[in-house]
Amino acid sequence: MTSHFGLMVIFSLFVSVVFSVLSRDDPKEQIMFGARLFGGFVGTGILIGWLLYPLPL
Amino acid sequence: MRAAAADRTQTPSTIYLMCAAAWFLPGAGHLWLGRRQKGLVFLVSLTLMFAFGLWLEGRLFPFEISQPLVALAAIADVGIGLPYFVAKAIGVGAGRVVAITYEYGNTFVIAAGLLNMLVVLDVFDIAKGRK
Repeated sequence: MTSHFGLMVIFSLFVSVVFSVLSRDDPKEQIMFGARLFGGFVGTGILIGWLLYPLPL
Repeated sequence: MRAAAADRTQTPSTIYLMCAAAWFLPGAGHLWLGRRQKGLVFLVSLTLMFAFGLWLEGRLFPFEISQPLVALAAIADVGIGLPYFVAKAIGVGAGRVVAITYEYGNTFVIAAGLLNMLVVLDVFDIAKGRK
């Protein structure tokens, strides 16, 4: 659970929940928006991870 | 979803009191305004996020004006309200720099505080009748 990926997923989950509940009033919309946010966070994280992979850091 | 308290025009002093309550206890402002679902979600998720950050050995930063970034992190930490003071009182949040999860812990703790500040702004907007 304390892997880089695992922590990113947990962080994304918390932030998605708070943002979706903040910005939408209807529970169904909150779930849809939260899922999209969560997917966006995790997907972008994986994409950026792969983009940085060749860099010699 | 809109509750009676949120629809009523609030006096300025009540609005600031609501914001103070929202800061002090995550979700309290929304609960006060009758938005129970939102209030409970904020109470549980933000408190959990903050506790999770401490469990990951994140640090509660001190207010050091000589180090502006540390001072800003401290302000973000305090943004969570009561959980911050509870953590300070029971002596957690010292942070262990050599822990692998130290930076992750800091991120969780700081983000929880900043998100609670957003929640306070949302309470302000609702109480003002803008939302």
